[in-house]
Amino acid sequence: MSEPAVVVDSVSKKFRLYRERNNSLKTAVMRGRRSVHEDFWALRDVSFEVPEGSTFGLIGRNGSGKSTLLKCLARILYPDSGTITARGRVASLLEVGSGFHPELSGRENIFLNGSILGMSRKEVARKFDDIVAFSGVSKFIDQPVKNYSSGMYVRLGFSVAIHVDPDLLVVDEILAVGDAAFQAKCREKFAEFKRVGKTVVLVTHSTNSLREMCDHAAWLDAGRLVMQGEAENVIAAYSADIAEGDRS
Amino acid sequence: MSYIRELIASRELLANLTMRDVKGKYRRTVFGQLWSLINPLALMLVYTIVFSFIFRANPEPGDPSGLDVYPLWLMSALLPWLFFTRVVNGGITTLVSNAGLIKKVYFPRVVLPLAVVGSTGFTWLNEMGLLAIVLLIFGAWVLPWLPLVVIFMILLALFAAGVAMLLSIANVYFRDIQHFTTILLQLWMYLTPIIYPVALVENVAADKGEWILTVYRLNPMERFAAAFRDLLYNNRFPALDDTLVCIVVGVSVFALGFWAFVRNEKKLAEVL
Repeated sequence: MSEPAVVVDSVSKKFRLYRERNNSLKTAVMRGRRSVHEDFWALRDVSFEVPEGSTFGLIGRNGSGKSTLLKCLARILYPDSGTITARGRVASLLEVGSGFHPELSGRENIFLNGSILGMSRKEVARKFDDIVAFSGVSKFIDQPVKNYSSGMYVRLGFSVAIHVDPDLLVVDEILAVGDAAFQAKCREKFAEFKRVGKTVVLVTHSTNSLREMCDHAAWLDAGRLVMQGEAENVIAAYSADIAEGDRS
Repeated sequence: MSYIRELIASRELLANLTMRDVKGKYRRTVFGQLWSLINPLALMLVYTIVFSFIFRANPEPGDPSGLDVYPLWLMSALLPWLFFTRVVNGGITTLVSNAGLIKKVYFPRVVLPLAVVGSTGFTWLNEMGLLAIVLLIFGAWVLPWLPLVVIFMILLALFAAGVAMLLSIANVYFRDIQHFTTILLQLWMYLTPIIYPVALVENVAADKGEWILTVYRLNPMERFAAAFRDLLYNNRFPALDDTLVCIVVGVSVFALGFWAFVRNEKKLAEVL
């Protein structure tokens, strides 16, 4: 067995829920202390390994800590305890088109967004035609993106992000962008990732797309890991739990 | 060390964010980049009318350049000051206004305030270029001093970047900082010999006590203003103590700002 692509080792993350938040100097001075808060543990002692080359799904109800975990993987949030070790280049697709400048053209934004996601100028130039072709907005590539329809905007952002070519891709629920044809293209792209041995970690609520794409999965509930392993088994157990919850 | 390596790897991002600001700012305006020159020219007109014609702040003629033109004397120190305030004002809000980006993508966050320095510096470079040309036309032989001017520009940029990094982090926790700083900067400008010569303060000090001048000269921007004016308007070497203060303040404030920023950077996505 090859080395795992990601090792999540007893990761915990807490957030502070502020009852009275000091967002101004006045309140800070008047109350004389920083703030009143209680801790909320979004993740508690979560450990698992993502095998290299697998497509790994994170499932769970709303508020179970999936997105927090994903953000920790993407190095946007940092765990309060525990470690996450990922090998190779990590790219995250948490929201597409963030960092687009509305007044700049699609072409300029591809270069800007590409560099925000960690690509070099040369790399973007080399992949430029692929990115434009994938997005399907080639006719409007020299128009400012504020004139784009929301679908075009998202497609262009997604297209840049998916061409980053990372060793590990971290994806939040953004697979539902664009029309049916674009979604088919995206699924094809993920299948290609799998063929060339890239690791993908994704969050989704749709058990159908999870079954279709993932080979491994982990199930989180209220910040704790309930189960992990082969996607089939985890999904079956999760679905059973949901069904039970609906009955009671 | 790995952080420094990462920062070097994101120099293209820094360049791209800088160009985003430069290109995006004057899109869909008729004058485009010219606007960045029109603003300081308008200020020059206002200050010249008020302080040269009405209040008669008469600075000494340039020594040894022999220049005696108030608007040029003014601009030699006003342009560096404007750069400083624009970096500080723009830098303070950059984390808050790029919150969406910080919450969704990983990159070394310090490129955000540095991009403000970059795009503002680009404008400043244009302004200083134009000023140098006008100074030449009026007979100040400024060309041999330009390399030193560039060095002082870098020192001021370091100082401004340090202040911007410090305040941008503070502003994430207390949004009052941005409003407070706007007021403070106005006050600071009038406490710096930009629109009036330092000789006026020396007169007051001779009258009321030398401590006034000592306190007045604690302001690092006073040293920067004097240095830029020596180089551009007088065409002579800045005083040694001014030069030393500029170097020490520039480097140490930058280091302090950088250190504070990197220490707090990881918490940004959570607190924004």
